[in-house]
Amino acid sequence: VTRHKHLLVFAVASVVAISAAGAVSSASAADSGTHTPVTITVFNWGQGGDQYWADANKAFEAKYPWITVKAESVPFEQYLQQEGAYINSKSGPDVMANNVGLELFERKTAYLPINDRLTPDITGQLTTYKWGCENFDTTQPCYGLPQSFQGNVMYYNVKVLQAAGLDPQNPPATWDAFNAACDKIKATGKACIAMGTGSTVAYWDYPEIARNYLDEQGIVDQFKGKIPWTDPRMVNILKRLAEMADKGWFQDSASTIPMLPDGGDVFTSGNAGFIASIVSDVFNWKQWGDAIGNDNLGVMPWPVIDANAPLAHKFSGVEGFVHGVTSWSQHPDEAFLYVAWLAGADNANLFLQEAGGQPINKAFNASLITNSPSFTKIQTLIKDPTLHAGVLLSGKEADALSRGYQQIMLKQITVDQWVQQMQAALVASPEKKP
Amino acid sequence: VAVARPPPSPPRIEVRPATRSPRLNLLRTGRRTDDQRSWWGLLYLLPALGLVLPFKFVPLVSGFVDSLWHLVDVGGAGQFVGFGNYARMVGDPEVVAAFANVGRVVLTLPVWVVSPLLVAFLIHQRTPGWRLFRAVYFLPYMIAPVIVGSIFREILGTSGPLNILLRSVGLGWFAQAWLGGINTALLAVVGVSLWSFFGLGVITYLAGLASLDESVLEAAALDGAGFWRTLLSIVLPMLRPVVSYWAVLCLGGMFIWMFPLLFSLTQGGPGYATMLPEYLVYLTAFQFNDRGYATAIGIVLFAVVSLASFWIVREMYASSVARERA
Repeated sequence: VTRHKHLLVFAVASVVAISAAGAVSSASAADSGTHTPVTITVFNWGQGGDQYWADANKAFEAKYPWITVKAESVPFEQYLQQEGAYINSKSGPDVMANNVGLELFERKTAYLPINDRLTPDITGQLTTYKWGCENFDTTQPCYGLPQSFQGNVMYYNVKVLQAAGLDPQNPPATWDAFNAACDKIKATGKACIAMGTGSTVAYWDYPEIARNYLDEQGIVDQFKGKIPWTDPRMVNILKRLAEMADKGWFQDSASTIPMLPDGGDVFTSGNAGFIASIVSDVFNWKQWGDAIGNDNLGVMPWPVIDANAPLAHKFSGVEGFVHGVTSWSQHPDEAFLYVAWLAGADNANLFLQEAGGQPINKAFNASLITNSPSFTKIQTLIKDPTLHAGVLLSGKEADALSRGYQQIMLKQITVDQWVQQMQAALVASPEKKP
Repeated sequence: VAVARPPPSPPRIEVRPATRSPRLNLLRTGRRTDDQRSWWGLLYLLPALGLVLPFKFVPLVSGFVDSLWHLVDVGGAGQFVGFGNYARMVGDPEVVAAFANVGRVVLTLPVWVVSPLLVAFLIHQRTPGWRLFRAVYFLPYMIAPVIVGSIFREILGTSGPLNILLRSVGLGWFAQAWLGGINTALLAVVGVSLWSFFGLGVITYLAGLASLDESVLEAAALDGAGFWRTLLSIVLPMLRPVVSYWAVLCLGGMFIWMFPLLFSLTQGGPGYATMLPEYLVYLTAFQFNDRGYATAIGIVLFAVVSLASFWIVREMYASSVARERA
């Protein structure tokens, strides 16, 4: 009997042990099932530089070790077309980037709405994320999360201004003063503004003129296609842009070269006094400072045309690029983790330090940057933002604006003809129904 | 005096067409044979059909169907607009400009056709250095067009080597923004294209020249025909099929080969000065995501190229038949 008892105890113990082992094994299997190795492909224009993205992806992979990030980037001037190829074939990257506004909305069907995945711990630290959402309303479908806060300023070369007899501490603040400064700079054999054409005309130049003619309602109406380009306000914006070329503010080659990188080279080579550029992402204070020296770099708002205009002294500030999860992604959960991580606090200081980006996550530490007077000044300039008219142009309008500007510079068309071309582009914009 | 004896007439060799083979002769008898021949013919056609149907015909039909729709949303059903996209093209200044530009490019076709012929004939005449020239002229064709575009974007820049050279030799008045002027940009693109494809033309003509009967050229030389007379009166008529073939290639190239150069040189600018239909299709489809409209432009482009090529090929065939009859 004792022997039988021992056998029974042994059998029960064995069953319990086997069951326990099975349970542990099952738990492990479930765990490994959750963390099946996944590779996600990320497509953007390398905003911030290759080194930043390499480090960012490395940091992300360290936090989520079962996810491998495969990065793919092309220069922005070719980005939209290549992205269009992915979109039309409904295949490709798991994560893509776009600038907020109509650039994103015109491609919104390529992205999964992410509202269900957004939690307060993700969005709570963001200054804003509504520009990636329908009608700028976070209760409506949102297609991505921003990483940067973006807007336009003018950078200048302190030595070039000094050589022209100008005071770099008091750069020209009005349109007329700027024209006078340009005359002095040109007298030294330099160009006043380093310029090239391309999509930057719509994003970097147009909104800074538009602020002098449109109030916030006007900018919204322009976004909705309610203001034709024949409207006197819009005509005046084009006239002022044309005036910049007519007055000879740009170098001779401005109409024949793209802004990126050729126009930038004119500035970094010391052949121009000013360059109209942006505060974050690329071609920012860090990139210019690295090229010509932080102490040699100054920054200022665009000169004011009409001091009485409601937005004349504002900053055209907007969320920069957003990353979103593509609608065809086979790994939307992992892709969203990546998108959320980019917008998160972990990435904010990395983005600031390595790329010179202006994080939209409030957790960033501005005191990390101690060697750039321009960065310090930018933190003041961006405090009073208004709507950014540039990102509310359709792709057709942005393209027509750039091509028309080339033609204006070459005196191939008049402003009136430019107006007609812009109106045709507006009518042909599917997202804008005048 | 030895009288030259006429050479013995060569033995008459009866050249039998392959169809005279006993096996095929058997196949040619009776209705059953005809049926079998039909099957054999179809069998031989299968590989070509296997390529043409899925990769040419189906996309073409699918493209035409797409061109009848307004397609701007990924995965969206779109909206049937019939021939609305085609009607829209008529009033679209960008489309009009693009087709007008390609018309201007076609006007340069004689240069594309004649200049490689001249060089090929010089090489064929064993002009001093012909071996070097043969290699040098072909070399650009071996470089990818995008690379060619990038190189020439630097060369033709406002401060590029070409303008520096012009200024250094006292021709500074001629230096200009080659890629930026309304009158120079398209010409510059055409020039770069010609530079890139020139070598293929030279090789094509050299292949044609190699097939010419040398005795005809020698006879022309004995009769005192000079370079130009030989070229225009002897070589050109004999090379007519090759010239036509090259002209078709060039014409097609002007419509659909220029993309990589436009992409890397001007992106259709300044303004619309170098916008060609193929680049407009690319922009419309992939930058503006207006797929239905882009496809409609592409279909019209296809029709224009097809008609132009058909006309040239028909002329080529007609002249060939006429020559044989003569």
